[in-house]
Amino acid sequence: MATDTEKIRNFSIIAHVDHGKSTLADRLIEATHTVEGRNMKSQLLDTLELERERGITIKLVPVRMNYRAKDGAEYVLNLIDTPGHVDFNYEVSRSLAACEGAILVVDAAQGVEAQTVANAYLAVEQGLDLVPVFNKIDLPSASPERAAKEIEEIIGLDASNAVLCSAKDGTGVDEILERIVTDIRSPAGDKEAPFAALVFDSVYDNYKGVISYIRIVNGEVKARDEISFMATGERYEVEEVGVFTPEKRAVGALGPGEVGYIVAGIKSLSDAGVGDTITSARNPASAPLPGYRHVKPVVFCGYYPIERDEINFLREALEKLQINDSAITFEPESSAALGFGFRCGFLGLLHMEIAKERLYREFGVELVATPPNVIYQVKLTDGSFAEARRPSDFPSDPTRQEEVLEPFIRVTLFLPDTYVGPCIQLCQEKRGIHAGMDYITPERVRLTYELPLAEFILDFHDKLKSATRGYASLDYEHIGYRPSDLVKVDRLIQDEPVDAFSFICHRDEAYHRGHSVATKLKELIPRQLFEVPIQAAIGKKIIVRVNIKALRKDVLAKCYGGDVTRKRKLLEKQKEGKKRMKQLGRVSIPQEAFMAFLDVSSDEK
Amino acid sequence: MYLDALEREISARAEDSSAVSTLYVGGGTPSVLSLASWERLIEIIERGFSFSGDAEVSVEANPGSLSRGHVALWRAWRVTRVSVGVQSFDDRRLKFLGRVHNAAQASAALALCVDAMFSVSLDLMFGLPGETLRDWMTDLKTALSFGTNHISVYQLTIEEGTPFARENPELPEGYAQYRYAQWRLTRAGLDQYEVASFARPGYECRHNLNYWDDGKYIGLGPSACGCMDGTRWMNAQRLDDYAAMTLRSLPIVSEERLEGERAARQAAVLALRTKKGIAWETFAERHGEPAANAIRRNLEHFPGDIVANGADASRLTPKGFRLGNVIWSEII
Repeated sequence: MATDTEKIRNFSIIAHVDHGKSTLADRLIEATHTVEGRNMKSQLLDTLELERERGITIKLVPVRMNYRAKDGAEYVLNLIDTPGHVDFNYEVSRSLAACEGAILVVDAAQGVEAQTVANAYLAVEQGLDLVPVFNKIDLPSASPERAAKEIEEIIGLDASNAVLCSAKDGTGVDEILERIVTDIRSPAGDKEAPFAALVFDSVYDNYKGVISYIRIVNGEVKARDEISFMATGERYEVEEVGVFTPEKRAVGALGPGEVGYIVAGIKSLSDAGVGDTITSARNPASAPLPGYRHVKPVVFCGYYPIERDEINFLREALEKLQINDSAITFEPESSAALGFGFRCGFLGLLHMEIAKERLYREFGVELVATPPNVIYQVKLTDGSFAEARRPSDFPSDPTRQEEVLEPFIRVTLFLPDTYVGPCIQLCQEKRGIHAGMDYITPERVRLTYELPLAEFILDFHDKLKSATRGYASLDYEHIGYRPSDLVKVDRLIQDEPVDAFSFICHRDEAYHRGHSVATKLKELIPRQLFEVPIQAAIGKKIIVRVNIKALRKDVLAKCYGGDVTRKRKLLEKQKEGKKRMKQLGRVSIPQEAFMAFLDVSSDEK
Repeated sequence: MYLDALEREISARAEDSSAVSTLYVGGGTPSVLSLASWERLIEIIERGFSFSGDAEVSVEANPGSLSRGHVALWRAWRVTRVSVGVQSFDDRRLKFLGRVHNAAQASAALALCVDAMFSVSLDLMFGLPGETLRDWMTDLKTALSFGTNHISVYQLTIEEGTPFARENPELPEGYAQYRYAQWRLTRAGLDQYEVASFARPGYECRHNLNYWDDGKYIGLGPSACGCMDGTRWMNAQRLDDYAAMTLRSLPIVSEERLEGERAARQAAVLALRTKKGIAWETFAERHGEPAANAIRRNLEHFPGDIVANGADASRLTPKGFRLGNVIWSEII
């Protein structure tokens, strides 16, 4: 019933964003008649509406294709698509673990980009067979020779036999299919061994519950089999097994080397963890398959519902989102400005934005997001460490704090040499430490910097884009915590500290940033009945002070011949406007002041 | 038509009135009524109401229409106070306000009333477009030169839907004008006994004080407001509607009755308009301890130079008067 392993090829496509991965996948699906032409929509595998819109793939969707090779045999090709963005490296490694090979797509006009290198190395590390493909050879600026040279020099792979392809017009697609069969090995696997499969993804379906995407390593699985998850020990009866065409289609059984899904009445995604091994409950495998490293969020921000009473709605939406994006974490928090919300953790900025957008599109939740921040490690004078996710987690007495450590990343930039100057300047401004620079070709430079993650997530992408007119590509990896001269800058309004306005920054920047925030607040906080000082302080030391002058404007209106009601209504209207302000001590602060501090851009939607 | 309707309203009201202690004939300048009409008005009022011995009877006078005949008639009747709607002693600003009188007529009207030995009040308005502090100082100086024992100052406020609102003129902030008025008038011996009113001791307008004390009053005529036993009402605004309604019943178009803390808060705002402020003991008797305490706590948030919170009473300081609307809107 199950396909012979000799006739199976499991592969993924590795490419930098925009190098044409999704288009190529579509061509492969077309060429194998997996989907009828009339049902084809551009970039079929990007199932999220959002992905198709942004032209990026976040969530991998597997597809099974039947291909009759030149040797006359019928092969099953399982394509496991991979996300191209650095935030989603973990998804790439998941996909790769389910494959024996990968197509390495390089844009023949643009050459190797930072992302290509990182993912190619991930594939090499996992022992995958690589098929290099130069895409977009139809472009006049395409230069396969240069691309080949870059692959050989930067990645160190032999690119002499690369397929020349144009996913746009279909050139080379047949050759790619053939090379998948000839260059990528078939999966190993023992049909007689106890059933063992790797869960490489899970999605939640409202009708079927959790659907686990699996790659079978040994044995067979079919409906009514009793299975167990090795990490949790939970047992289930299989209700359905199937393959991706790419729509899910039930099949009788899945055997070694095959890629498919199982439905087993699993209610929650946490019971079907990605990276876990599924085995037979009666005849379990002796040891779990190598899993994935647990991905930890590195960027945090607060999500708050725009309508305050929608907090429970937001919680439900986050829970559901977490069901098919297990990398998201969240915990309740509250903010003076925004009320109740959640502090959410993400793998990166794009991941954060996508989550926000999905909450809106799929669950109808409109929210405001606070600016992202990182986790700091605060070493206290008693030798212990405290984890600080927000400024208020820092000790209120700075003398108790011996040292602050912050997460660093190593950023690799690929860029034309004309932009090296502005790029270096940007990295220096961002407190970067130069770690290397080399010429890949006479015109292209690889620049490596070690940067604090906090600076990176602030606005690095945007600044890099403008410094290089979008010609630079980047990749980064986390390189751990390092001590930095960081301080918590407190904000005092009318001598009272206001947590919502405090922030963490490098000591050298404290004055500058303290001053700009104070100036902004001065504009936004209306004049009060008295003079209001706005101060920035490090510990007890005041570093910035600006004053909001006392209110001098008032309307002394006539009370018309005993028309008390009218006057009261006017006052009530005035009061209504004030209600939206937050009373801090004797100072009323409008919501906008908090929003401005958070710099929430509401025009994103 | 107006007087006939008024007569009907008064006869409908007459039964629920006891002796009148203050009467204010104002709101749309009664001095435009002819002498004959005035005689009829006096007759209607005298038939409808009885007055207490020391009753305060005020009449609003428009400098453009006030005549010696009016003054003589009022003198002969029971009028004690005349409030002259001067607004400004500057012809340009009077024209902006659409007043029919000029500065000379205003001066003449004031002189007439003072000479007739009335207790005279004059109304001045500040915050007009293009008005400088110096202009306002001149107005106040002129106003004081008549020796009146009561001056009211108001800031121009633009109401929506009026021709002023359509022009949307740029107005001065007004704070300095008001601040100066407080200083200048107080120095001239006129105490600020209410946010907009300055008087020599003993010459406060009792009629207005009754409003701020949350007292009872009857309003008669189109758009008049009244308050009896906690219920406030307003009459129809257009004369023809008003007149038609008096044929059937009372010409009331809206009524409102506040209960509990809302009533207390409204009373507190009214009381804070005056120098006396909120006397806590009587306030608590009238509105209950919990409401009184809640309002007291609100007032304690304000700095001492704005709200003087004493054990017996809370009142606005002169600076507090300048910021009155902000404070009232906090406690309403």
